[in-house]
Amino acid sequence: MNKTFLVALQEYRQHVFNRRFLLGLMSVPLVVVLMVGLILLIVSMQNNTTPLGYVDHAGFLSDPLPAPAPEPPDKPVPMVPYANESQADSALRTGQIQAYYVVPEDYLSAGKLSVVYFTAVKAPARIQFYDFLTANLLRDTDPAIAERLVEGSEVTVQSADGKRSVSTGDWFIVIFPMIVALGFIIAMFSTGGYLMQAVVDEKENRTMEVIITSVSPDQFMAGKIIGDIAVGLTQIVVWGLFIAIGVLVGRDSLDFLRGVQVSSQTILLIVVIIFPSFVMVAALMATIGATVTEAREGQQMTGLLGMPIWIPYMLMYTLMNNPNSPIAILLSMIPLTAPLTILVRDGVTLLPAWQIALSAAVQILAAIGSIWLAGRAFRLGMLRYGKRLKWHEIFARQGVKS
Amino acid sequence: MKKILLVLANEIVTVISRPSFWLVLLGLPLVGALIFGGIGWLNRNSGAAQSVNQAFTGTQETLAEGVVDLSGIIRQTPKEIPAGMFIAYPDEASARSALAAGEIGAFYIVPQDYIQSGKIIYIRPDFNPLSTDTKQSSLFRWIIQVNLLGGDQVKASLINGPRQVEDTSLSATPQVTEDNPLATWAPYAVTILFYVLILGAASLLLSNVSKEKENRVIETLLTSVTPLQLLSGKILGLGLIGLGQSILWLGTSYVLLNKSGQTFNLATALHLPISFLVWGLVFFILGYAVYASLMAGLGALAPNLREASQTTMVIMIPLMIPMFFSNTVFAEQPNGVLATALSMFPLSAPVAMMTRLSTGSVTWWQPWLSALLLAATAVLIVRAVAGMFRAQALLSGQGFNLKTYLRALAGRL
Repeated sequence: MNKTFLVALQEYRQHVFNRRFLLGLMSVPLVVVLMVGLILLIVSMQNNTTPLGYVDHAGFLSDPLPAPAPEPPDKPVPMVPYANESQADSALRTGQIQAYYVVPEDYLSAGKLSVVYFTAVKAPARIQFYDFLTANLLRDTDPAIAERLVEGSEVTVQSADGKRSVSTGDWFIVIFPMIVALGFIIAMFSTGGYLMQAVVDEKENRTMEVIITSVSPDQFMAGKIIGDIAVGLTQIVVWGLFIAIGVLVGRDSLDFLRGVQVSSQTILLIVVIIFPSFVMVAALMATIGATVTEAREGQQMTGLLGMPIWIPYMLMYTLMNNPNSPIAILLSMIPLTAPLTILVRDGVTLLPAWQIALSAAVQILAAIGSIWLAGRAFRLGMLRYGKRLKWHEIFARQGVKS
Repeated sequence: MKKILLVLANEIVTVISRPSFWLVLLGLPLVGALIFGGIGWLNRNSGAAQSVNQAFTGTQETLAEGVVDLSGIIRQTPKEIPAGMFIAYPDEASARSALAAGEIGAFYIVPQDYIQSGKIIYIRPDFNPLSTDTKQSSLFRWIIQVNLLGGDQVKASLINGPRQVEDTSLSATPQVTEDNPLATWAPYAVTILFYVLILGAASLLLSNVSKEKENRVIETLLTSVTPLQLLSGKILGLGLIGLGQSILWLGTSYVLLNKSGQTFNLATALHLPISFLVWGLVFFILGYAVYASLMAGLGALAPNLREASQTTMVIMIPLMIPMFFSNTVFAEQPNGVLATALSMFPLSAPVAMMTRLSTGSVTWWQPWLSALLLAATAVLIVRAVAGMFRAQALLSGQGFNLKTYLRALAGRL
């Protein structure tokens, strides 16, 4: 046990106290911040505060109420009336306005508008013009009712037992379990990659021969797996801290972050389904590392292993809309596809207890099986150079001569 | 020249004699054909299609939904709402018992203070927050809207803006609007296509060089071939393979799309002139030469393939920048300052210029200038990278860092 611990500690130190690991650790939050910045930039580029012109033939804009103030980051766009199309047209050509709308006489019955521009009117300005129309359309309506019509309703979805409820604005709560699952998968693959690499490296530079004189193969393998899982958990904890800081900082200014909380069920799923999957991926990676003779070969095989994990990602839309379809239930049971599927479903539906229990049982069995496989592949392949370990050798009865 | 041809021939023979090359080359179209075949079979066989559909969506039957209106605003139901889609209940308890009896699939509670608070509670046994986006729930919102306006349906339909808008553009270049999805889609598709084509072909060079460096074959090779010959031979050889691969893939997808019953003529669908295809070839070849030699240089400096592939990101960034902007800057202002600058800067030009060419009118001299700049860059970089293929750079087992890379490119190592 002591030796296992030593191997684990060495493995952990080697990866974590390393500049590249820190760089990788920081790069994920940095990329996220960069993407958010880019999106904000693109949104702000949509803001064009050149006035919009309009020609009103319907008459309900003759003494207009002002347009309601837009929600930030959109900036208010002034609305300028013109008596006829030719005046508006010359204003457009001289650049005084970005576009003009023509409201025909029968607008209040036919609901048809026309718009003239050089470059199409962007969403923020367009929405403001429509809000301006609506505000004037409803000027004779009771203000409380008008406000309700403009704002719309806030629908809160509740489960029949009343235990869970989410309202329209809380989309972040719905996708939060999914973000957790994606974080785990990324960590899973980066640590799995370390594990595959670790065995291959020590084989390539023949350190293995020396190590094996003082540590038993089982201890060595167990130590490596524990060490690398610890590396992965370190990664997740750091990312989790970043997310937590982001949520705390953004809670006041961003509506959608309000009410974000990790439910006890999500934690349960992480412990009984994601963690065993994590162990399984690590063990499978180690198996690959022990089977191949060269790092490059191993990388190709990890690609194959990665494919099933992304299946639920590709089916995301279907899974979220139909969380209780047969395919969704099936994918929550199969190892590798289970972690993402089950957490996506956790966000959008009530998971029956039997599904969680069955899936957890499958994941735990799969993890135990993979560890057994890794140990066996390792014992057979650890001192073999130049020749790949064949799969039938791993499963063969008389294969083990330890 | 003869030696370049030798290297070229050797590269081609090595690559095409690998089984994995054929697996990928033929496997991808095969998978595509299988998927298309499967979809075609499903289209012809409605029974199977239904069961597949059911596996993905589960049993979909639209049950009636209950409405408990405590606010008293719902007085009438617009006539376009199918009868029996919504059932009114006097209180929550009766709705709950109807839900338990399976008479309704879900129910709404409109609280007494709805007009002030705007809150509506939607009780659903399966608790799916996305269910507020379905057709049935939008009909429910419509009922509320009409009733708030005292039954004035025409007015209610104008609350969220006009029903129809007619666009007139005075601009000469085609405009990107919601009505013309193809125009929105074209720059994006061209950007992705060129990005994938160039990087796909160029990354072959990375693994090739770093592998030969790892097993020290390159040192032996350099005793009989000059670095420039070696590099040009490799770039040409792998470039031909990359080009052949792309043509085969694009060709199969074209055939498959036609076979599937949809006539899909890319050039006419996007209104692309022949000159676009010619420029496409020019920018692909030049862009490939630049990126392939940069990749080869990376392969020559990095100690092993693993480290080399981790650092390719540094090189790919200029090519990725146009992708970020393809939906905004390139689609809306293809002749603006930023788009023009990106299409002139040699490292982003292959993707950026093609994207601009796909969106509309580019002044005639701009592609020429851009191609000229790119060609000059290609020559310089090929030479610089050939200079990197020296024993010193190849032998050192040191890790990769950007400073060494840039210094080596400038010939000061």
